Amino acid sequence: MEQQIAELTKSGAMLGTIQLEIFYWWCTAIMILIHAGFLAYEMGASRAKNVLASGVKNILAFAFIVPTFFFFGWWIYLAFPNGFIPVEAGNAGLPWAQDMGPNLKDNATGVFWAAFVLFAATTASIFSGAVIERIRVSAFVILAISLGSGAWILAASWGWHPDGWLLTKFGYHDVGCAGLIHVVAGFFALGVLINLGPRIGKFNKDGTTNDLRPHNIPMVLIGLMLIIVGFFGFLGGCAILNPGAQWTNIYGQPMTLSAYAFNTLMCFSGGIIGAWITTRDPFWMMSGALAGIFVAAAGLDIWYPPLAFLLGMVGGAIIKPGNDFLVKMGIDDSVGAVSVHGFAGVLGVMAVGVFAAGYPNPGDAPDTSFVGQLVGVIVMILCGFIPGYVISLLLKSIGILRVPDEVQEVGLDIAEIPSKAYPEAAGYKSGSLVPAE
Amino acid sequence: MNSSPVTSWEDVGAYFTFADTPGALYLILALAVLACVLTIVQAAKHETEAFKKVEYSD
Repeated sequence: MEQQIAELTKSGAMLGTIQLEIFYWWCTAIMILIHAGFLAYEMGASRAKNVLASGVKNILAFAFIVPTFFFFGWWIYLAFPNGFIPVEAGNAGLPWAQDMGPNLKDNATGVFWAAFVLFAATTASIFSGAVIERIRVSAFVILAISLGSGAWILAASWGWHPDGWLLTKFGYHDVGCAGLIHVVAGFFALGVLINLGPRIGKFNKDGTTNDLRPHNIPMVLIGLMLIIVGFFGFLGGCAILNPGAQWTNIYGQPMTLSAYAFNTLMCFSGGIIGAWITTRDPFWMMSGALAGIFVAAAGLDIWYPPLAFLLGMVGGAIIKPGNDFLVKMGIDDSVGAVSVHGFAGVLGVMAVGVFAAGYPNPGDAPDTSFVGQLVGVIVMILCGFIPGYVISLLLKSIGILRVPDEVQEVGLDIAEIPSKAYPEAAGYKSGSLVPAE
Repeated sequence: MNSSPVTSWEDVGAYFTFADTPGALYLILALAVLACVLTIVQAAKHETEAFKKVEYSD
């Protein structure tokens, strides 16, 4: 009898372990839809002469984030919860550690690492859209790695890790990464855009602007909807499955996936409606859906759903004015990423401080608070803006950041890509050059 | 090349290729890092050459 109980207990524990593995495996798979979406979105948002160059850039962001996150990204997450001094526990994330590969005694590290890789690649893709049509691919890859496998994951170590100082000292609460991913990526993009400059033809000498329209709005809309689908995998990956016990959020507070279901759908809808009210433009409506999710993301586990809806409406409503403000400042953000991710993310982090203060944290960590969220959002802005600005300034100073203006006029595809996006389209301007090889 | 760190499946932990040979892991890792770095350098050179073709054609 005792032996049977022991065997059943062992079998139950293994079942729980495999359940955990399967859950994060499929979260990761669904998250890849985010990248399918960003790919369609960025290509659609480009003009016809730059479609494939934008696609190549986006694909390479994903491709380079995966190995670099293996080389050092996961180690950064585990090693720096206290600030800039690495802790010994980080050694488990070193690329030669026994956990960093097939291991029959560790079912968890691989699937957690994979989920974090997709978070990292999402971060890089957010930045990617802002800089299309004039950034050099090599510079972009360097910046994407710096963001996805560096800046973002350092912020995550501070504000998401159970020992992260933003949690243990300030009670920072950001379960869906409003600050950790969207603020960091949005302000990283802003730092780069300042040095990169606008697309040729965006601004006139008299200070007026030209509307460089996407060449394929339907592709943009489908891409944005794919991103929304992928975010369900993303948000699932932000929850901790505890076999045999209640879900917890990344901070160890109890939660349910039902909470995410209520609030994600409500803020998604609010975002669309908010953007529709202020713009009537489908491009901004679907961007509003994203912004709606980001404004509610930090507290997705705790919102009363109609509050999430209202937060989403605010997010959707502010993104176009936010982008218009940037244009007035001379910033050409090709897809509005700074506003959609950066500005909406700031509101999202602060929404927890305003509407959700006082929730208890595990251990000695302070309760959620306005001050804790304010400190957190300032840290996130700096984590994004400083590396984005400094690294792009360095690349600019050695002349490898921006595509020359005359190449921009001809089109990046004809200059760089040995293929054509629409070879049979009537009126397709192929230029006098043969495609690059 | 015998890269297996295990001789049976009893009580096995890490079983990836060369798991018990740190020197080999460091070497393969260094090659992988180098491959990424060189690819980026080559991409930068390719871009410069490709852009020159456009500039010369004007």
